[in-house]
Amino acid sequence: MKLSKIFYNGFIKENPIFVQLIGMCSVLAVTTSAINGLAMGLAVTGVLVGSNLVISLLRKVIPEKIRIPAFVVVIATFVTIVEMFMKAYTQDLYNALGIFIPLIVVNCIILARAEAFASKNGVLASIVDGLGMGLGYTLALLILGSLREILGAGSIFGKQLFSPSFEPALIFIMPPGAFILLGILIAIFNTIRKKKATTESN
Amino acid sequence: MSIFTILISTIFVNNFVLARFLGICPFLGVSNKTETATGMSIAVTFVVTLSSIITYGIQKGLLEPFGLEYLQTIVFILVIAALVQFVEMVMKKTSPTLYSALGVYLPLITTNCVVLGVAILNIQEGYNLVQTIFNAVGASIGFGLALVLISGVREELEFNDVPEALEGFPIALITAGLMSIAFLGFNGLV
Amino acid sequence: MNETLKLGLILFIITAISASVLAVSNNITAPKIAEADKLADQKAKTEILPQGEDFRPLDEERVNEIKKEYPNVLEIFEAYKGENLVGYTIKNVVKGYGGDIEIMTGISTEGKITGIKVLNHSETPGLGENATKSYFSDSFRDKPVDEELVSAKEPKGDNEVQALTSATTTTNAVLDGVNSAREIYNSKLAD
Repeated sequence: MKLSKIFYNGFIKENPIFVQLIGMCSVLAVTTSAINGLAMGLAVTGVLVGSNLVISLLRKVIPEKIRIPAFVVVIATFVTIVEMFMKAYTQDLYNALGIFIPLIVVNCIILARAEAFASKNGVLASIVDGLGMGLGYTLALLILGSLREILGAGSIFGKQLFSPSFEPALIFIMPPGAFILLGILIAIFNTIRKKKATTESN
Repeated sequence: MSIFTILISTIFVNNFVLARFLGICPFLGVSNKTETATGMSIAVTFVVTLSSIITYGIQKGLLEPFGLEYLQTIVFILVIAALVQFVEMVMKKTSPTLYSALGVYLPLITTNCVVLGVAILNIQEGYNLVQTIFNAVGASIGFGLALVLISGVREELEFNDVPEALEGFPIALITAGLMSIAFLGFNGLV
Repeated sequence: MNETLKLGLILFIITAISASVLAVSNNITAPKIAEADKLADQKAKTEILPQGEDFRPLDEERVNEIKKEYPNVLEIFEAYKGENLVGYTIKNVVKGYGGDIEIMTGISTEGKITGIKVLNHSETPGLGENATKSYFSDSFRDKPVDEELVSAKEPKGDNEVQALTSATTTTNAVLDGVNSAREIYNSKLAD
C-alpha cells in the first residue's frame, strides 16, 4: 500500500471518531475549547506514532500469546512519557486535560492500531498509519472543540468573537452539549459519505 | 468528605458517564438491550471495586514508599488486566452459571476507562481506603444507572422512525445528551 | 524451556526495559516539573500580592493554631520585600456549587486585600467558572479588611464586589473564603 493512501485511510476514510467511533471518552470530555481539543489530539498522536513504531519493530520478537499485555506495557510507557513532558513544559494544558492524559492508555484506538496494523506491517508504514489516525483524531477533536467554544463561549482559541452583548449558549460547553454536537457531527459525516458512495457507484 | 457525599456525588452529580465522560465506549456499545446492560454493569461493579482496593494497596505500599509514583499508569493498567484475567479464570472454574452470564463482558472491561479512571481518581483525591471503596461502588452504580437507563430508551427507539442520517450512534449520542441535561438537575446537591 | 516461563520472561524483559526508560525520562523531567510547579506557585502569589518579592511559609505552630479555629485553611505564607514584612497570602477551601473551591487571598500589612485567585474548582463552565476571570477577581482588589465583603451587581460601596451573573452560590462561596481570610488576618496576623 502506498504511504499516502495509508495516511488518507486514517485521516479521512477510516477516521477513528467519525467512522470507527472509537476512543470517544476523551473526545467528549476535553473538547470544551479548541486549544484543549488540539492538545489532546496531539498527545494521542504522539503516543500512537511512538507505540506503532516500537510495536512494529518488536512484531517478530513478541510471542502471539502475550502480545496484548506487551502492547499495553509499550503504550503505557509512551503515555507516561507524554504525561511527564506535558507536566514539565505545558502545565496549563496538563491541568486542563487532567485525568484524560493517563487515560490515553485505555483509549481503544491505540490498542486497535497496534493490533490491527503495527503488529503486521513495516516500521515506516506503521509510523504513517499512526500519523494518519492520530491527526484524523486531532481533526475531529479540533472541529468539536472549536464548535463548542464558538457556540458555548462565543470565542475561539480564547479570542472573543462577538460583542459582549452576545449571549453564548452555555449548554454547549457543558456535558450535554458534547453528546448532542458529536451526534449531529457524526450524522452529517455519515450523510456526506453515503452521498459520495452513491455518486461513485453510479 | 463523608461517605454519603461521595456516593451521591459519584452516582448523580458527577455521574461517571454523563458528566465525566468515562466509559463511553461500553455505554454506546452494549446499551442496545437492557439485559446486556445489566450484565455489564454488574461485571464492572465487581472489577472496579476489586481493582480499586488492590491499586490503592499498591500505591500506598509499594509506589509511594519507593518514590516510584511515575510508574503509576503502567502498574495500574497491568494490575487491572491481570485482575480481569484472574476473575475470568476463577469464575469459569467456580461458578459456570455466573461465567456464562458475565463472562463475555470481562475482556471488554480492561479497556473500559471507568476502571483505570476510578483507580487514578482515588489516589488524586487523596481518599483513604474506606472512601476509596465507596468511590468505586458509587462510580460503578452511576455507570450502571446510565447504562441501564439508556438501554431502556434505545430498546424503545427501535420501534420508532428515526431520520435516516441519525440512525444508530448519532441518535444514541443525542439521547445521552438529553439524559445528561436531566442529570444537570442534580448539580449543587453536594 | 517451560513455555509459560519463557513467556513470562519475555514480558518481564519488556516491562523492565519500559521501567528503565521511564526512570530515565523521570530523571530528565522531575527537576523541570518541580521548577514549573514552583514558578506557577510563585506567579500566583505575586499576582495577588504584587509588592511581595519573597514568600516564606508562616511558622508551623501558628498555622496549626489558626487551623484549630479555621479548619478550612490550607496554607499561609508571609510575603517579604527585602527584610520587611509586606503582607500574607492565605489559601483556604470552601464549598462551591460543583464541589470544593480553593481560593488564595493576598492581604497587605496596610490592611487591604491586594488580590484573590480562584485555584482548583469544579464550577459550571460559563457560569461559576467565571470566578476565575479577572473582572470578578479584580473587584476584590484594594478592599479594606475591616468590613465584611458583600456582592452586588454594580459594586459601588467600599465593601462591595462584583456578583457573578446566575452563579450566586459560587459568588457566595468565594466571598466566604475571602471573608474568612480577612477574619484570620484581623484576629491572628495583624499586629
